[in-house]
Order: sequence, then structure tokens, then C-alpha cells
Amino acid sequence: MKFVVCVKQVPDTTEVEVDPETGTIIREGVPSVLNAFDEFALNVAVQLKETLEEDVEITALSMGPPQAKEALTKCLAIGADSAILLTDRVFAGADTWATAVTLSRAIKKLGGADVIFCGQEASDGNTAQVGPEVAAHLGIPQLTFVSEIEKIEDKNIICKKETDEGFLRTRCPLPVVIACMPTPGFLPKIPNMREIIKGKRKPYEEWTFKDIGGKEEDYGLEGSESVVVRTYSPPPKGEGIIIDDEPEVAVQKLMDYFEKEGIL
Amino acid sequence: MAKTNLWDERDLTEEQKLFKESILDWAERNLPLDRVIKMNREGHPFPPDIIKGLADLGVIMGTVPEERGGLGLNWKDQSLIAEVIGYVDPSIATAAGFMAVSTGWGFTIDRYANDVIREKYVKPAINGDKFIGIATTEPGGGSDVSNFKCTGEKDGDEWVLNGEKTFISGVEEAKKIGGGYWVNVRTGPKEPGAPHKNMTAFFVPIDSDGLTPAEPYDDAGRNAISTGGFIMEDVRVPEEHMLGEKGKGFYYTMEGFDNARILIGASAVGVTRRILEEAADYIKERETFGNPLAKYEGIQFEFVERYIEMEASNLMVKKVAAMQDVRYDEEGWLARTNKAQTYSPKEIAKWISMIKYKVPHLAKDTADDAMHWLGAAGYSSEYIFETAWRGVMSYCVGAEGGANIQKIVIGRETLGPDYVPYK
Amino acid sequence: MDDKLAIVEEALCISCGVCVPVCPVDAIEPVLMAKKADFSKYSGVWVFAEQHAGKLRPSGPELLGKGRELADEVGEDLCAVLMGKDVEALTGELSAYGADKIYMVEGEEYENYSTEAYTTAMVTLISKYKPSMVLYGATHLGRDLAPSVAGHLGLGLTADCTGLSITEVEGRKVLLQTRPAFGGNVMADIVCPNTRPQMATVRPHVMQPLEPDENKNTDIIQNTIRVSSDAIKTEIIEVLEPEDTGEISVEESDIVITGGRGVGNDVESFDILGKLALAMKGTVGCSRPIVESDIMPKSKQVGQSGKTISPDLYIVCGVSGAVQHRVGIRGSKYIIAINKDPKAPIFEMADFGIVGDLKKIVPLLTDKVAEKKNSEK
Repeated sequence: MKFVVCVKQVPDTTEVEVDPETGTIIREGVPSVLNAFDEFALNVAVQLKETLEEDVEITALSMGPPQAKEALTKCLAIGADSAILLTDRVFAGADTWATAVTLSRAIKKLGGADVIFCGQEASDGNTAQVGPEVAAHLGIPQLTFVSEIEKIEDKNIICKKETDEGFLRTRCPLPVVIACMPTPGFLPKIPNMREIIKGKRKPYEEWTFKDIGGKEEDYGLEGSESVVVRTYSPPPKGEGIIIDDEPEVAVQKLMDYFEKEGIL
Repeated sequence: MAKTNLWDERDLTEEQKLFKESILDWAERNLPLDRVIKMNREGHPFPPDIIKGLADLGVIMGTVPEERGGLGLNWKDQSLIAEVIGYVDPSIATAAGFMAVSTGWGFTIDRYANDVIREKYVKPAINGDKFIGIATTEPGGGSDVSNFKCTGEKDGDEWVLNGEKTFISGVEEAKKIGGGYWVNVRTGPKEPGAPHKNMTAFFVPIDSDGLTPAEPYDDAGRNAISTGGFIMEDVRVPEEHMLGEKGKGFYYTMEGFDNARILIGASAVGVTRRILEEAADYIKERETFGNPLAKYEGIQFEFVERYIEMEASNLMVKKVAAMQDVRYDEEGWLARTNKAQTYSPKEIAKWISMIKYKVPHLAKDTADDAMHWLGAAGYSSEYIFETAWRGVMSYCVGAEGGANIQKIVIGRETLGPDYVPYK
Repeated sequence: MDDKLAIVEEALCISCGVCVPVCPVDAIEPVLMAKKADFSKYSGVWVFAEQHAGKLRPSGPELLGKGRELADEVGEDLCAVLMGKDVEALTGELSAYGADKIYMVEGEEYENYSTEAYTTAMVTLISKYKPSMVLYGATHLGRDLAPSVAGHLGLGLTADCTGLSITEVEGRKVLLQTRPAFGGNVMADIVCPNTRPQMATVRPHVMQPLEPDENKNTDIIQNTIRVSSDAIKTEIIEVLEPEDTGEISVEESDIVITGGRGVGNDVESFDILGKLALAMKGTVGCSRPIVESDIMPKSKQVGQSGKTISPDLYIVCGVSGAVQHRVGIRGSKYIIAINKDPKAPIFEMADFGIVGDLKKIVPLLTDKVAEKKNSEK
């Protein structure tokens, strides 16, 4: 059986700022890490592999600049069997649509997969769109907000997913795209030094757009349907509101503040 | 305000970045600063779950070849690991026990031990099931290694060892989980002018008959790992417990010191980095007279000076680790032949002495400064600084060689052998 | 077939994607139905109105509120899309909230949400009626459905928007979508100028519904779109009640309510915080002195020597706000401080501070929150 886990390298913090001159995000000095949602997805895939009797090969797949190799190296240490980085200037500036095009073509080139895992969202863009768009491109079903995989049996996957109301147990035939939502308190596996060294020795490849085919204009900024007009820092936090009044009045003002800010 | 981060990841290889990430993630779960403070307050023995955790992480004796249970790491990687361990536990207890002692000396034991000792003690120590270390200091001599009194006499297939060893790291831990020590004894007469001759190294299990551990010391700092001693009265060990060749113990010991000191230098860089980060978080936030403390030059400039020294030390440690890698690539460096080498062992020893002298002092002084910046808060166990200050002091005053001995080595290598004050 | 890539007649294709998985030689890729086509054919601001178990979810009315404004500005109709089984009763509400038209799709297969059925219906409706904009709530359902629709139709999609307005690009009125990224530390303005419809998911509770107008005239357009049960791959085995996972830890909770010395010196005094936490679905934490007095365990301690936390909402009661505490809470999105001392340093960090007796304020707040939560059910 084949699993593909789609991962992204993201800045190690969400506390980024926008350069007011250029309108671009200041990335200098911000270390990069494997997106935590994707790390959860990979952990789920590795755990599932351990429970299955048949052989499973896990391929970690990422699109990104050359340094995104680091995130894949971590995946190999955690338990992926091989890794592929889709890296090409042509891929740069992709929105979720173009990203999904790129990933799905790579998955097709790999000969498809029985389960395609991805994180529910990335901590930088927070779009949660790439997984379902990959499913649409490949024409296979999707399960989003998946918190737990029970088992795979008879070419069906059974898992628990979060909905607006609570949780569902669902069954879906393979192949399928699973977007994983970390459960509270989930602790990802910490690869030890030996696993890190072994990971470095596992197969790792870098593919350009020539490897996955298609036209240049299918990819990256040119292949994107959404255009970012500008990025900017949200207006700075003003002075805090301090209320020194009767409790009833103060609490009502606080409730109004919650309402205005969309809290609760 | 984000937590201060003074690491520069761009210096690290891909693997090193992951080593660091894993150790930090592990420490966040298992060894956060409040636990470091607590375990040093509670004192030894070292928490068994942390020993097992370190072993499972694979940080102990990474330099041992893969075929013998290690990871075959080079010294650049192992010293980075030691740096991160020092960063995680600025009391330096963890680095003392499991970098300097178990790894620096353990690696050297592995080099000279035969397969019996390797299987019975080295591998289990790598796996965290046993503790191995070094017992070289005696009541009559610490830095003057050649002036020792313990003896070993051959009796049939066995060696009979007698004498007393002091200031040994980890005796209580070894007693608890099993293990043993590298013990130097004299196996021949003391030769005039060459007191280092006729020293032989043995591996002595802690549970040997005739070996009586002394009461552990009540040290000023790094109390999470014990310091103790033992008396040997007719302790009998088989021939296969001899490390390397008879009479070469002094040279092996010097090699062991070199390995342990590199890891102490590296750990102390990590301690300093952590102290600076923790202090920066405080001085950027805490306000007096309308400004954060960090805005006052009296504090900011001290901070900057320590930061410069730390990064200078970091570069020195990296240079030394690279030198050590050259050394272990060269076969036969111990034979002191005139073979063309990039560095002679003495040159390497000089650089190692430089970091052994410099970095623990820097860590201690930085902790001292940080306590001044924080005032009473810095002196309390609410913060890590006093724990770090007391802990790293052990590497200023002694442990793997006293400060002034390092200076003598450096003086010898810079001014020439004619100026060595003691022979 | 030409060059092993099937040619699909664009006019006939509704881009449902159904052809893709069945093609044996993998020769069909989803067609970008409206890429740089004649945009003049696309008209109407659509709102996907979510319902569950026969009840309208709040996102529909909210989006209609914003949709009204957008539709008026571009001079198009505001339309709601409603799917389900026997949900006609909901059309009245959608009408009152401002829909000019309601497109309805009813059937067994729409009783419970499935990506396949809803995507097929949405793709069919969009292909047939050609709206210029489609808005979805950024709920679990919306964030499952919208990207699936976008993926099948080859459309741009902007996730989790907090602002929508109309701007001009090359003389055309387009939807300007504002959304936070990096957990809210960066804002981005996004347009999808080359495809129609323009689609976005919109963060719940951000947009305001209009005052209901019971006399509003609305056209209801029924569509029959059958999706065979074979085409619905995902099968619900069991609906699980929201889990009682025990209490969430202070680091993991979105809402943390912390008490300090000002709350009291015994366990009972902290009950009022527990009640507020229950009402808000938050977690109670405490400052260091509370741990030292054995009122709460160490695991609850918030601050530099305890847990460093970054909840969405941090309510801090009776904590003066020593630097050690403040360092541990810097990542909080909103900080609400309640303290009787107006000079308490915690107020410097607070987004909203109340000076007063927390023993009166906290129970009042608990009642108000519970009231609000009940009214939302």
C-alpha cells in the first residue's frame, strides 16, 4: 500500500511582521519548521502503517524552495520511507489552486496513492484548501478535519472526523485524501539521533516542473487564480479600554466588547 | 514579545538542526527549567527517567562507532549535542554526568576496552541501563595526575587493586543502576623524572568485592548528579578489564581529558546562551524608572559583552571539535610519530585547554551578571541563574582539570616548554 | 482523443469532476470552466446557506447581511443556496434576511452533508446559473465544501475572510477579499480577477445579519439534482456526541481564566472562576502564589515559571501582573483584566480592563455569557 503525506515548511512563529515599505513579510531570522498539522498527519500515517500487516511505503511530498528539504529530512526521521521536494522557480507564488495542481501531478507521477494525508491547514496561510483541492484534481473523495484513523480494512478507511456539531465516524473506500486535525494534547513523535541519521540515508529526490509535466503557466504565480493585492500588518492594538464603573455597567461594556471583536 | 532566541541555525548542518530540535522538544516535555531547578534542589541520584530519556534520544556516546552501539558521530556533531544539553540544563548536571563523563570518558573507554567490557558495560551505558565514568583523582592529587598512589599487582590471571579515589562524578548513580569506572593505578615503580610512566588503566565495576563507596560530597552546585569516592581494598579484576596496554594509562587519560573537556566547553556555550536568553526576556520586560532594564547601558553593554564572548567561545569550540575530528581521522596519533599531521596532539590539547578554561568561566560570569541584572529575583530559585552559577562553578574550580592547569598547558604551548613552572 | 488528452466540449461539461476518476487512461483534467471567459454572463451574489437538522446555521444570515451590501454595489441579485431534505420551511427566514432568490436542491441525498452530493449540486448550480460571487461560511462544512467546488471548477478561492468589499480591477468591479494569515499577524487583500464566480469562505460571527424583513419578496427556484448513492463514497457510520475529554489544559485551551491572590486564599473562592470557565468552555489557571498555597496544582500555573500560554482569550482576575506572569501570557490574543487596584501592572497589557470587585464582576459576567450562549442555541 502507498501513503503520500503532503507537508509544508512554515516559519516557526506566527508572530511575523510586514515590511511597511515593500509590503512583504519579513522572514529574516525566522527559523522554519515542519507545519504542525502536517507533522500530526505524518504521525498518524506512521502509526497506521505500524498497525497494518501489509507493506506500506510512506512518501513525504512537499512543494517549496530548496531549503524546504529540511522539513522533509525531519519527515524521514519521523518515519517516512522516502521524500520528494517539488522545487522550481516556476512553482513560486502558487495559490492553493496552483499548489494543488502541482501536488496532484506529482502524486500521479508517483503512480497515485491509497491514502493521501495532509494537515488540515498550514500555520502560515491558514487556508485549509489544498487537501480538498488535491482530492478534486485527483477525482477522489476527501475527509477533512480527521482527528483519528481507526483502521483500514477491505480497502476502506474508517476514521473519526470533527464536524460543526461534534464528531462522526465515517467509512470511505480508498483512494482518499485525509486532512488531519491534531487532537488536543497530541504529542508528535520526537525523532532520536539515530532516526535522524537513518533518515538522512533514505531516498530523497528533488523534482522540477519538467519532472511532473504540464506547461509553465499551469504553475506558480501564473497558474494561480487568486492574486494577493497587498499584505499589511493589522492595525496596532490601541490603548486598552479600562472601565472603572459599577459592576453591572462594566460587565455590559465587556459583553459589548466581546460582540464587537467577535469573541465567544 | 516573542521569547528571545540567540541561536544562529545557519551555522548548523541539516542533521544538527534536527538534533537540536529533537533535544529541545524532548526537554520541553521532560526537562523544563523548573524541573532542572527542582532536581538540583532535591539532589542526587540523577532522575532515572532522564537518564533513560537521554539514552533513548541517542545523545550518550554518539561518537562510538555504529557497529559498537554508538552512532558514529563526529566531534562537531557530538559537541553540538553537548551544547544543546548545556542549554537545556544550565545547572550543567546533565552535561557533567552524560556528556563529559559518560560520553567523553565513555568514548575513550570504548576505544581501549576489549569486547567483554564493551558488551557488558559500554553498550548498556549507551542505552542508559548502566553508568560508566572516570575515577582518576586521589586524595593526594587532582591535577597532578602522575602523583598518584593507587596500585595494581598481578596475581595469576587477575589484577589486585588498592587505594582511594575521590571527586568522582556519578558514584551514587552507578551504585543505583550498575556500571563502573575507569581507574588508574600504578603497575610498576615510579620512575624519577617520568612519574607518568607505569600507569595502567582498568575498568572496575562499582559492585566489585573490596570496593567501598564513600559518603557522597555535599557540593555547592550541580547537585542532581552525585560526586563521590571509593576505597579499593584488594579489589580483584580479570586481565580483560585492563584498558589498552599496560603502562599507557597516562596517555589514555590525557586523551580522555581532551574528549571530556571539549564537551564541557561546548556545554558551557549552551549554558551561556540559555542564561543570556532567559535574562534578555526579563530585562526587556521589567521596567524601572520608566524604562525597561535593557535600555540602560549599564545592563545592555554587559549583556552585549557576554554575548560577544559567547559567540567567540562558540567559534573556538567549533574549531576544537574540527581539530579533534582531524585527530581521530589520523591513525596512530597517540604514537606521537612525526607523521605530517594538521595538528599535533599537544596543539589540540592547547586549544582544548583554552575552551576548558574560558567557557565555564564565561558561563559562571554571565550567570553572575544576570543575577545582578535581576537583583533579588535573580538570586532566588524562581530563576535559573543561581542554579547555573553554582553548577558551572564546578568546571571553573576543577572537574576535568583545574583552571590553572589549563593555563600551564596553554603557556607551555605558546611560550615553550622551558617555561613550564612545574615538572 | 487527441494526443491522449480527451477533449471535453466546454459547453456541455459542468465540470463536476465525475469524469475524471472513471477515465481509464487518466486523460482528463478538470476544465477551468470560466477562465478568462466572458464575465458579462456571470451575475448574482450567492450565499451558501448552511442548515443542519432542519435548522438554519447563523452563517447564512450573516453572509446575506454582507451579501446585500455587495449585491447592491454591483447591481446584482442576492441569492441564497439551500440544500437538504424537506427544508422548504427555511426559505422564509432566508427571505427575511434579504435573499432576492433562493436556489433550492432537495432530496434524500442532501439530508446529511456529504462532500460528493453537495459538491455535485453546487457545481451544477454554478454551471447553470453562473453567479459572479459565491460566499460560504468558514465553518467545518464550508471549509470542506468550498475548496472541493473550487477544485472541480478551477476557481480561485479565498479562505476565512474577515472583510469583503468591491474594488475595481481593469475597469471591472471585483470582490476584494481581506483575510488574516499567520494566525492574525498579517492581513492580506486578495482578488480573483481571472475566474468567475469569485469565491470566498467567510469567518463566522464577523458579518452582521440584517434586521429580518418578513415582507420581503423572494423567488424560490427548485432544482432537482440527483446524486446516486454510488457516487457518495463517504459513509457515516456513527454520529458521536461531543466528547467529554476531561478538562483541557491551560496551554491547549482557547480560553483561559486565571486567578491570583485577589480571588482568595482557599479552594472555594475559586469556584466563581470555575463557573465562568464552564460557561465559556474555558480552562481555569492560576498565578504562582496560588500554587504555593496548594490551592491549585503546578500544572495550572500560568507565567514564566509555569506555563507559557497563547489563548485566544485570557481573562485574568486578581493578578497584579508581575513581569514573570506577563511574560507567560504575551501570546494571548485578547487579554481581559479584572482587578481592584487601578494601578495594577496587568492593566498595561489588557485590551479590556475592569477596575472593581471581581467577586461581584465574575458571577455577573458568568450569567451574561451563559445567557448569550443559550440564545445562540
